[in-house]
Amino acid sequence: MTIFMTFRIALKALNRNKMRTALTMLGMIIGVGAVITMVALGNGAQVSIEQAVQSAGTNVIMVNSGNFSSGGVRQGQGMSNTMTPDDAVAIREVPGVQFLVETINNRGGQIVAGNQNWNTHVEGTNVDLPLIKNWPLESGQFFTPTDVLSASKVCVIGTTVKNMLFPDGGDVVEQIIRIGKHPFKIIGVLISKGQSSVGQDQDDVIYAPFTTVQKKMRGVTYIESMTVSAASADNIRQTSDAIAAVLRVRHKIQPGDSDDFMVRTLEDIAAMRTETTKTMTYLLASIAGVSLLVGGIGIMNIMLVSVTERTREIGLRLAIGARGGDVLMQFLVEAVVISLLGGSIGIGLGYGLSRGLTQFLQWPTYVSPQAVLVAFGFAAGIGIFFGFYPARKASALDPIEALRYE
Amino acid sequence: MSLISVRDLKKTYIVGDIEVRALRHVSLDVEAGEFLAVTGPSGSGKSTFMHILGCLDRPTSGQYFLDGKDVSRLSKNDLARIRNHQIGFVFQGFNLLSRTTALENVELPLLYNSAASKGSDRKRRAMESLKLVGLEQRTHHLPNQLSGGQQQRVAIARSLINNPSILLADEPTGNLDTKTSIEVMDVFQTLNKERGITVLLITHERDIAEYGTRIVAFRDGVIKTDEKIANRRIASVELAALPPVSVD
Ligand SMILES: Nc1ncnc2c1ncn2[C@@H]1O[C@H](COP(=O)(O)OP(=O)(O)OP(=O)(O)O)[C@@H](O)[C@H]1O
Ligand SMILES: [Mg+2]
Repeated sequence: MTIFMTFRIALKALNRNKMRTALTMLGMIIGVGAVITMVALGNGAQVSIEQAVQSAGTNVIMVNSGNFSSGGVRQGQGMSNTMTPDDAVAIREVPGVQFLVETINNRGGQIVAGNQNWNTHVEGTNVDLPLIKNWPLESGQFFTPTDVLSASKVCVIGTTVKNMLFPDGGDVVEQIIRIGKHPFKIIGVLISKGQSSVGQDQDDVIYAPFTTVQKKMRGVTYIESMTVSAASADNIRQTSDAIAAVLRVRHKIQPGDSDDFMVRTLEDIAAMRTETTKTMTYLLASIAGVSLLVGGIGIMNIMLVSVTERTREIGLRLAIGARGGDVLMQFLVEAVVISLLGGSIGIGLGYGLSRGLTQFLQWPTYVSPQAVLVAFGFAAGIGIFFGFYPARKASALDPIEALRYE
Repeated sequence: MSLISVRDLKKTYIVGDIEVRALRHVSLDVEAGEFLAVTGPSGSGKSTFMHILGCLDRPTSGQYFLDGKDVSRLSKNDLARIRNHQIGFVFQGFNLLSRTTALENVELPLLYNSAASKGSDRKRRAMESLKLVGLEQRTHHLPNQLSGGQQQRVAIARSLINNPSILLADEPTGNLDTKTSIEVMDVFQTLNKERGITVLLITHERDIAEYGTRIVAFRDGVIKTDEKIANRRIASVELAALPPVSVD
């Protein structure tokens, strides 16, 4: 019997029990769909990390307050607020440092202009930000050292914020918006960077002088982090080591004690985040894999029922000359058709779900061709694995007894 | 050389501690072209005997020569091949696949015959087979759209599709009324006479057995009597004599 005929017979048999076939397939659809979505989330996170590194440039060094890599034993370490603008002043003097901005965020304020409003966080920064991020303005200008010194309530916005607050268009420079209860004057608009390829909106930003965020909004004197750009990518390692040394002296860290800050190049950050992302991906994928397993067991269950129901048919086929191998193939192919069809629909579902997550929740996702191939292979494997036992049972039937079966 | 030749055939089933000796010592020769009726009381071993002749089962001991070849010790796959190529089965319960047209039912054995892989070829042969049993008008009917006699004729057409040399029928008229039984016997007699197919027919009824050329009677796993039939019944003649009713 040709494999083509075997497939036709399998399709016919499955077609006879449409509802049952569909329900069995559903297990596979959900399983494969879940795996694809989870892997897409993991891959998306990975891609967004890589893009962040690429768009920020390779010679960027992040200096964060707190140190969550020193282990979870000392509670609160990761949140210590020991970094001050004076640290920044000192680091500016470190050889190899080209630009530096202090960063402190103000989260969760409602932004209002006229009768429009929007929700995004305000990032307090310094004048060199457009240089570090290599991000020019489409109109107006960035704030000046004077603005920072005097903690003026001025801000520079991205195009998304502009479009949300001023849907009618027009020149928005010199317009006043309210952030929380504070009025801010828009003095510049950054050019649009568009969506990152994993669907994150890079233009949904508001920048204000960090001093303004510190004093007027948060009422604190510390800063949360600094972004430093090294003069060249070559001696970035020395530069970051030198920054750490300066901070250790300034924060009076004894040799052997752990730092209360972290100095990392973007590559360090990427490597670290990649590790966590991988762990997360494996975790999510294996949870999703369990549902795939359940789908496989569903196939096995239904195939066993089907073999029992069709005992007489099997007996007849054997009597008219089918070999055990023919019967085995017939049922195995049925199982594989269920799993492959279900798998294919599951891949479609997973793809759709991933797109939806990106579209509506802005979670970065990426459905890689490898993931699709692996999922397809897995589906086939599950069909073969869970279909084998029932098929084997069918092929081992004694024709005489099978024909007598009631 | 006989088409079928069995020597001292034994078949013993073991159920728990009990030995069931379904066939004790059966020896028999059947020539090509014979129409053999096998009778005997229930449990006398008729079906067991036929299963062995049909290569569905193997004897516990003894030999079975089919066409001069000892087939009693062949492998399962070799037996499957013989069933497909040389033997046609007709069962009491028809055993047609439900929700499958008459044509597709008849085609079925060809799927397991590597020599007949072309779809159009299979269709043509299935059509011819249905024509032989007079059902060319019913090719696309499903089993539940056919009468019992018609279903049994579809089953006969199926058994013929690979041009077997032997037709084995286990109580093929058991589920049919008298007139339909005669019609089915007519099909067997025609195939036996015109195509030279050897027919082995199991039946409980003496009058059905009389359509054959020879009657073999089983009792307790042995052959009790083996006789030529003197006044053979001819189904076509009887059908012609019947008062005409609406046919098909
Ligand atoms: N698979 C089996 N296991 C055990 N005993 C069996 C088996 N098949 C048949 N037998 C026994 O073998 C004997 C012969 O059975 P067989 O089916 O050949 O009888 P039969 O002549 O065809 O009867 P009937 O006319 O009722 O169909 C019986 O006693 C039966 O119980
Ligand atoms: Mg019987």
